[in-house]
Formats: sequence, structure tokens, C-alpha cells
Amino acid sequence: MKEKESAPPDLCLEVLRRLDRAGVLEELVLVGSWCTFFYNQHFQGGARLSALRTRDMDFLVRRPPRFKKDVRVGELLKDLGFLPDLKDEGCVSLSHPDLIIDFLIAERGRGDATTVAIPALGIRAQPLRFLDFLSSETIVVNYRSFDIRLPHPANFALHKLIVSGRRPKVEKAEKDRLQGVELVDALFKLGRGDELSSPTNRNPVQSHQHGPTWFERFLV
Amino acid sequence: MDSIKGVLAEELENSLRLLKQREGELARLPKGSLVAKKIKGGIFHYLALREGGKVRFHYKGKLAAAEVEKYQEAKKLRKQYAGHVSELKRQVKFLERALHERKRKRAA
Repeated sequence: MKEKESAPPDLCLEVLRRLDRAGVLEELVLVGSWCTFFYNQHFQGGARLSALRTRDMDFLVRRPPRFKKDVRVGELLKDLGFLPDLKDEGCVSLSHPDLIIDFLIAERGRGDATTVAIPALGIRAQPLRFLDFLSSETIVVNYRSFDIRLPHPANFALHKLIVSGRRPKVEKAEKDRLQGVELVDALFKLGRGDELSSPTNRNPVQSHQHGPTWFERFLV
Repeated sequence: MDSIKGVLAEELENSLRLLKQREGELARLPKGSLVAKKIKGGIFHYLALREGGKVRFHYKGKLAAAEVEKYQEAKKLRKQYAGHVSELKRQVKFLERALHERKRKRAA
């Protein structure tokens, strides 16, 4: 709540720095509303995305997880004041009054609702629908000497527009829709509108076999 | 405007959840502060506890280094969590006020 748009809070940077030094940041994809800050960096001032976001910092673990080292993330961030949110099946997120770190993974098929163990990180990731669309094409943004992997802005925008139709809460749906529209608008302003319609890799139906309902949700 | 309200409401939910979590953790930590006293060349430990507004010293005797470290770690964590609890209470106050203010304006 306190941060300025000019820079993420020190705590956020410290988390990224530690994950980077531990050699796991390159294998994680930053998703969620924190992406907009780094997209602003990526656009180099060419477009300005809203700073509206919660304190959740979501990391997507790609399937299959490809970590070169075993890092206990909970231990890595413990001295910063992060506490694991322990559920029956294990740690699913790490929380601090100013930042909540969640680990997500793409859900495979309906009913894959339990958490997925990520032994290399010592955590469990929460499976959510359609996340593989975000990890299917990524970009790397260099920020203060470390590289942060983000979904391609076009994928992120389309994903936001699709999930906005699935949100039970009106406010969350509205926030997703606004973020999606804002990003689409930014891509067009930057002359990159064609990236939204590039044939195979951005078409969720063709590349991810989610069936017509996935694409239909976007079209409706 | 709804999305701003939504973010504030979500953050209030987060702050309340985290506050409950931190207060629980704080309550689980061993209480008191370990005090070492040198008596006739030996190091003896006392646990200083606040009881009914008074500080009382409970004799613990000679403690292993690991035990001393456990108390020191607990003291450090207690300070950290107390800071978090205070920050979270501040957040809750701010967010509740912000959300009620909006409700009041809408009703008017």
C-alpha cells in the first residue's frame, strides 16, 4: 500500500534478489498484478499501466518444474519475516504484512484441485486453470541486474480477459477486465497490436487444447 | 471505481487473516527474556517474565548453548512479530476507514 510506482518496495526487490541468487528466479514466471509494474519497464515509458494491485506476488511454476538446485524458499525468506501459510498438505504460500508470495501451477484437467508438491522449493503450488497459457510464451525483463520472467504481454492480456468472465466476485472481474483492456490498449499504442492475433502461439484453442469453451469465453 | 473498492476489500481480508496468523504465532513463542548471571565463576540463567505488572525472575540454572539460542531466537521473533502485528492493525484501521467512508458517501 505504501509503494510508489517508480519502484517496487524494498521487500519485493529483496525477495526477487534472493530468489535470483539462489538460482530459482529464472525458472519461475511472475504472474498476477505485479506484472504490470515490470511491463511498464518493458515498454520503456511507451505506455503506462495502472499501479492498482494487491500485495500478492504470484509465481508460476512451469510444468514440469525444471529447477537446477534445491532451495528451501521458506528458509530463504524466513529472516525477512515471511511465515509459511501451512495447510494440511503443506506450505502453499509465504506471508509478510507487506507481501504475500503464492506459488501457482497450471491445472491439468478438471478436478485437479489439490496442491502440487514442488520438492525443489520445499513448497506446494496451487493448481489453477489456464495458467499454461501464461507460461507458453514468456519475456524476460531486466530490472536492477536481475532477470524477471513474465508472460508475454499479449498472453497476459488475453488471459486476464478470459478469467474476468469466470470470477465470482464482480470487483475482481472488473479489475481483471481493466488490466486486460489496458494492456491490449498499450500494445496497440506501441504498434504491437498484431502480437495479439499472431496465429498459433497466442491462440489458446490451438496451442493448449482447452477446447472451444476456452476461446468462446473470450469471444462472448 | 469498483475495482479499487475490490482491491481495498481484498487487502482488508488479507490484513485480517495475517493479523490472526501473526497473533497466533506470537502467542506460541516462549515468553520471557533470558538473563545470564555470573555467580562464583559459573553462568546461571534466569527467565525474566512480566507477571501481573511485575517482572519476576525464574531460576533456570545452567543452560545448554542450544537452549540459550532458542530463547534468543524467540526474543528476536517476538520483536519482529510484534512489529508486524502493529503494522497489520494499522492497515486494518486504514482499510476499514477507507471502505466505510465509501459506503457512507454512496448512502449520501
